[in-house]
Amino acid sequence: MKKTTSFIVLMIVLLLTLQGVAAQDQYAGITIDILTFTGPQIAEPLQRRAPDFAAATGATVNVVTVPFADLYQTILTDQATGTNSYEGFVFAPQWMVDFVGPGYLTDLTDWVNADEALEWEDIAPFYRDFSATFNGSVYTIPLDGDFHMVYYRTDVLEELGMEPPRTWDDYLAIAAAANGMDMNGDGNPDYGSCISKKRNAQAFWWIISIAGGGLQTQGTSQGAFFDTETFEPLVNNPVFVRALEIYQETSNYGPPDELILDVGDTRGLWTAGRCALTLDWGDIGSLAVAPDSQVNGLTGAVITPGWTSVLDRATNEMVACDETTCPLAVDGVNYAPFASFGGWSGGVSAAAAPEVQEATFAFFAYMSAPAQANVDVTIGATGFNPYRTSQFEELQPWLDAGFSEESAQNYLGAIQQSLNSPNMILDLRIPQNQRYEQRVLDLYLSEFLAGVYSAEETAAAIADEWNAISDELGRDTQQAAYLGSLGVER
Amino acid sequence: MKLFKSNPFQVSPGWAFVSYLILGIWTFIVLFPFYWLAVTAFKQPNDVNAGPTYIPFVDYQPSMRAFDELLGTNSGVFVTRPYGNTVVVGITSAVLALVLGAMAAYGLIRFDYKPKPGLIVTFAVCVGLMIVGTNLGIPWQVAVAVGLAIFLLLAQTIGRRFKGSMSNNDIFFWLVSQRMLPPVAVIIPIYIIFQRLGLLNTHLALIITYTAMNIPIVIWFLRDYFSGIPVELEESAFIDGASRYQVLWSIVLPLAVPGLIATFLIVLVFTWNEYTLGLFLSGADTQTMPPFVSAQNATRGPQWWNISVLVLLMVAPLFVLSVVLERFIARGLLIGAVKG
Amino acid sequence: MVATPEPLAAPSAARQRFQDSVAGWLDTSSRMVFLLPALLVVLLLSVFPLIASVFVAFNRVALVPGGFQFTFVGLDNFRKLLVGSESRYFIGRFGDASWINILLGIAFVVLMLYLLYQYIRSPRLQIFGLVMRLITITLAVTLFGIVIFTLGDRGIPGTLVVTLIFVFAGVGFQYALGLGLALLVTQELKGKRFFRVVFLLPMMITPVGVAFLFRMMVDTVKGPFSPVWSLLGLANFSWADTPSGARAAVLVGDIWQWTPFMFIILLAALEGISREQVEAALVDGARRVQLFRYIILPEIVPVSITVILIRMIEAFKIIDMPNVLTGGGPGTATESMTLYSYIAWRSQDYGLSAASAYVLLFVVTFMAMVIVNIIRPRLSGRL
Repeated sequence: MKKTTSFIVLMIVLLLTLQGVAAQDQYAGITIDILTFTGPQIAEPLQRRAPDFAAATGATVNVVTVPFADLYQTILTDQATGTNSYEGFVFAPQWMVDFVGPGYLTDLTDWVNADEALEWEDIAPFYRDFSATFNGSVYTIPLDGDFHMVYYRTDVLEELGMEPPRTWDDYLAIAAAANGMDMNGDGNPDYGSCISKKRNAQAFWWIISIAGGGLQTQGTSQGAFFDTETFEPLVNNPVFVRALEIYQETSNYGPPDELILDVGDTRGLWTAGRCALTLDWGDIGSLAVAPDSQVNGLTGAVITPGWTSVLDRATNEMVACDETTCPLAVDGVNYAPFASFGGWSGGVSAAAAPEVQEATFAFFAYMSAPAQANVDVTIGATGFNPYRTSQFEELQPWLDAGFSEESAQNYLGAIQQSLNSPNMILDLRIPQNQRYEQRVLDLYLSEFLAGVYSAEETAAAIADEWNAISDELGRDTQQAAYLGSLGVER
Repeated sequence: MKLFKSNPFQVSPGWAFVSYLILGIWTFIVLFPFYWLAVTAFKQPNDVNAGPTYIPFVDYQPSMRAFDELLGTNSGVFVTRPYGNTVVVGITSAVLALVLGAMAAYGLIRFDYKPKPGLIVTFAVCVGLMIVGTNLGIPWQVAVAVGLAIFLLLAQTIGRRFKGSMSNNDIFFWLVSQRMLPPVAVIIPIYIIFQRLGLLNTHLALIITYTAMNIPIVIWFLRDYFSGIPVELEESAFIDGASRYQVLWSIVLPLAVPGLIATFLIVLVFTWNEYTLGLFLSGADTQTMPPFVSAQNATRGPQWWNISVLVLLMVAPLFVLSVVLERFIARGLLIGAVKG
Repeated sequence: MVATPEPLAAPSAARQRFQDSVAGWLDTSSRMVFLLPALLVVLLLSVFPLIASVFVAFNRVALVPGGFQFTFVGLDNFRKLLVGSESRYFIGRFGDASWINILLGIAFVVLMLYLLYQYIRSPRLQIFGLVMRLITITLAVTLFGIVIFTLGDRGIPGTLVVTLIFVFAGVGFQYALGLGLALLVTQELKGKRFFRVVFLLPMMITPVGVAFLFRMMVDTVKGPFSPVWSLLGLANFSWADTPSGARAAVLVGDIWQWTPFMFIILLAALEGISREQVEAALVDGARRVQLFRYIILPEIVPVSITVILIRMIEAFKIIDMPNVLTGGGPGTATESMTLYSYIAWRSQDYGLSAASAYVLLFVVTFMAMVIVNIIRPRLSGRL
C-alpha cells in the first residue's frame, strides 16, 4: 500500500516536473510590469508568487506600487498619455468602465474560457457575471471578494441578550444599548457603533449599504442607483431619506471623532475591542484573528441588515414587504448586500504585445486558480477575501490561519449568505462614476452630517446633481452604460 | 547693585524669567509632537488604538515591529530605495537650483537686462516647435538643438528690430510668479513632456523639475544678499583685470557663504519633502520618501508606527545639517533687507 | 618625456588663441551666461505647462481610445465655477444679511472710495493708474463681499473663502508668533543657540508627515491629549464636528509647521539691526515699546513684507493638511482651492480642475500685486 502511494506520488512529481520543463519556456524572456498600490496587502501575494510563476513559465513579473489614493489616476495617466509602462493592473472593477471605454483593457473572454486550471465556474456567480464582466465580455480576473457586512461583538450581544441585527432598526437598537459599555476591560466606556465617516475617503459607500435593502428588491440587475427605465436617480425618495437618518443616528453611538475616521481607523478601534458593531468589508474577519487583535473569537459577522418596507419605484413611496414587493425577502426582510468597490481584480493592458498580454493573463489566472487563491484568502496579510465557492467548503485553511471553528463558520456563513444572495448590489459602474460618488455623494453626505442640510434637502440635492452630471455627459450614453453594467439586454 | 546698567542689552531677571517661560512653552509645543513620533515608532497597533499610551515600558511595551517591517530583510517593503532616491534627487536639485539661481541673482543685481517681449514670444514659439517636432518623431536632443539654433538665429536677426523692453524687476517678478501656480495644474503637461523625452521614472526628471521649481526661491533669497555686498570690492578687482567669473568666484561667493548655506538648507527642505510632483514623475525605481510616507495610509488605515519611523528617518539628516550649519543660518537670510 | 618644444608651440598658441576667444566671448556675454541657464530651465518647465493648462481650461476633456478628446467649451468651465453649478462649492452659499455684514460691507466700500478720492485729488492722477485702481477696488470689494456674506448666518463659505481664511489667519499667526519668538531669542539669554535650532525643526518634516502627525495630535479618542479633553469634560468633543473646529485644527498644524520659517528670517533681520542704534536708544532711556516702534519695526518692515509674500504664495497652495486631516470636511469647511482642483482632477473633470487652478493663480497674483504695489510702498514710506 505504502509502496503504491509513494510510486504514485513519484509519478506525479515526475509528470509535473516534465510538464514544468515543457512549459518552462512558454513565456521566456517576457517581463510583466504590474501596477497596484503600496502596502503589505494585495502587492504581497503578487510579489510572493511571482518567482513560482517565473519558474513555471519563464516570465519575469515586476510588481510596481503607488499609494492607494493615487492608483486610479496613475493607471489613467499612464494609459491616456500613451506611456503604457505597465502590462497589468490590479484595481477595483468599479473603475473598469473608465478603462474599458477608452480601450485600455484587453478582452479576456476567450482566454478565460480556454483556461481550465482557472476553474472559472468556481468563482461566485456575482463576481463572474457582474464584477469581471462588462457588456458581456470578461475584462478582469477576480483576485479578491469585496462587499459590506455588519460585524458584531458576540460577547457584548450575549451580555445584552440581543440577537445579531436583521434590520437597520435592530442595528440602532443594539448600538444604543451597547454604547458606553466597557468592552475591552480597560475601565473606559466604549462605543455602540463605529462607522468611518471621513470625507474624501471611503465613507460614501456606507449609505448605499444602508439604503440598499430598501431600494433594490428584484435582484442584482434591477440596480440600486438609477431607475433602469427613466434613469432617474433612486435618491430623492423616502427610503433614501430614512437611510440618511439611520446613518446620522449611528453617530450618536459612535466615537466623537467619527467624522474624521477613515475605515482604517475604525478597523483599529474594532481590533482594539472598542466597538460593539461596525459596517465594513470582509477585512475585519481576518484582522480579528491577527496576532495583535483583542477580539479574536469575539467577532461575529452577518449579512448587511435589510428592510421590511421598501421603495415602490412606480409611486416613489415606501411600501411594506410582501410577496410581490419583496420576492427575494427572507422572513419578511429584504436584504441587498452591497459589493462596493468590487474586489481587487487583475486587468491586462490593451497596449501590450499579444504574447505579453497572454503572459499577463496567465499570471492573473495563476493567482486566481484555487491552488493559490484558496491559501491566500486565509492569510490576513494578503488583503484577499474569499470569492470562490471552494473557499467556503474547506474549513482547514481558515483554522490554520487562526480562526476557531465557530468563528470561521460564522464568518464564512455570512459571506456565503451575501454572495449567494440574488439581490446583491453592484457598485455604480458608469463613465466618470467618481464624479457621482466620490464627488457629489461624498460631499453632500459630509454636509448632511455636519448639519448643513436636512435629510430631505440632501436627497433632493444629490438627485439634482446626479441628473446634472448625466445631462452633461449625455443621459443616453450614461443610461446605456448603466444597463450594460447590470447586464440588462435591450 | 554694581554697574548693572553698564550693558544696556542685559535682560532684567524678571523679564528673563518671562522670556524663558514663553520660550519654554514654545519649545514644548515644538518638541512634544516629536516625542510623540518617537514613542509611536515603537508602538504596536493596539498601543495606538486602545487609547493613548505615553511612556515606553511604563504604559506599553515597546516593540521593534515598525522597524522590522520597514528595514527588515524579509519584508516586501524596503525603505532604502526611496530613501536613496530622496537623497540623490533632493541634494542634486538643491545644489543645481543654488548654482543656477545664484548666477541669475548675481546677474539681476549687476546687469541691466532689457528683455524684449517680442523675443520672449519668439522663444515660446521655438519651444512649441520643439514639442511639435518631438511629437513628430524627431529625437528630442535634435529637436532641442535645432529649436535653440533657430531661436538664436532669429534673436540675432529679427530680434534686433523688436522695440519696447522690460526691466530686471519684471524678470524677477515673472520668475517669482512661477511659484504661484499650484502643482495640480501643471502635472499632466509636465508628465507628458517627460514621457516624450523618455525621462519618466528617472532621477533626471525629478531633478529638472525640482530645480526649476526652486530657482525662483533661490533668486529671491540671494538677490538681496548679494545686493548687500559692496560693489566697490568688485570694482577694485576689475581694475586688477579680473573677469566677471573670477569676481563672482573669488569675491562675491566667499562673502556670500552664509547666504548660500542658509538658502541651500531651505531649498533642500523643499526638495527633500516635495510630494505631489514626486508622486507623478517617479515610478517604482525612483519613488521618493514623501509618497512612500503617504503610502503607509493604505486600506488598513494609517500605519502610525510606520509613518512615525519614516518621518523621523526623513527629518534626521536635515536636523543634523541645521545643527551643524546653525551659525550661518540666521546671518544668511537677508531677504527683503534691501529697501525699495 | 622627450622635450619637443618646437612642434608643440604652434598648436599651443592656437589653442591659446582659441581659449582667449572663448574666454573673451564668455566675458563679454557674461550677463547672458549668468541669467539664461536659470531662465531657460524655468521657461522650459513653465511655459509649456502654462499654455497647455489654459488650453485644458477652455475644453471639456474626455478619455477616448488613443488618448484625450478635447471639446472646446470656451469659458464654460469658468462660468460653472463662478456662477454655475460649481459656484456653490467655489464661492459658497450666501447667508442671511445681518446688519453687521451690511455695515462692514458699507464701511469697506466707503474706505475704498475714500482711497480713490484721495488719488483723484492727488497730482499723481493718470488715466492708466485710475483704471488699474478701479479694477483693483472692484475686485477687492467683490472678494470682501464674498467673504463677509458667506461667513454670515446660514452661509457656507466656499473653497475660495476657506483658502483666504487659511492664508490670512495662518500667515498672520505665523508672522506674529515668529516675530515674538525672534524678538525673545535676540535677547542676551543663555541657550539662544538651543532655541534657534529647536524652533527650526517643524519646518523640516515633510508636509504629508506633518498632516499625519496632527491627525494624531487632534484625535480626541486615541491622541495624546484625550485625557485632557476628558478632564475638561469634553470627552465627546471633536474638532471635526464643526466647520470652525475643523478649520482650527488645520490651521494649528499649518501654523506649527511654518512659524519656524517666519522665525528664522525675522531673526536674521533683527540680528542685522545695528547694535549701536539700539544702544543709543536704550541709553536715551527709550522704553521697550518705543524701541520696537521706532527702531526695530522700520528696520524689519521690508523683510516682513517679503517673507509674508513668500508664505502667502505657498499658503494659497495648501493641500496636504486639509486632505489628510479632514478630507476637506465637514462639508466644504476645510476644502482649499488646491484641494478642490485636485478633487475635480481626480474625478476626471480636467477642464474644471485647470480652470480653478487658473482662478487660484489669478487670486494669488492679485494679492501679490496688492502687496507689492500698494501695501509695500505705503508701509515703507510711513515708518
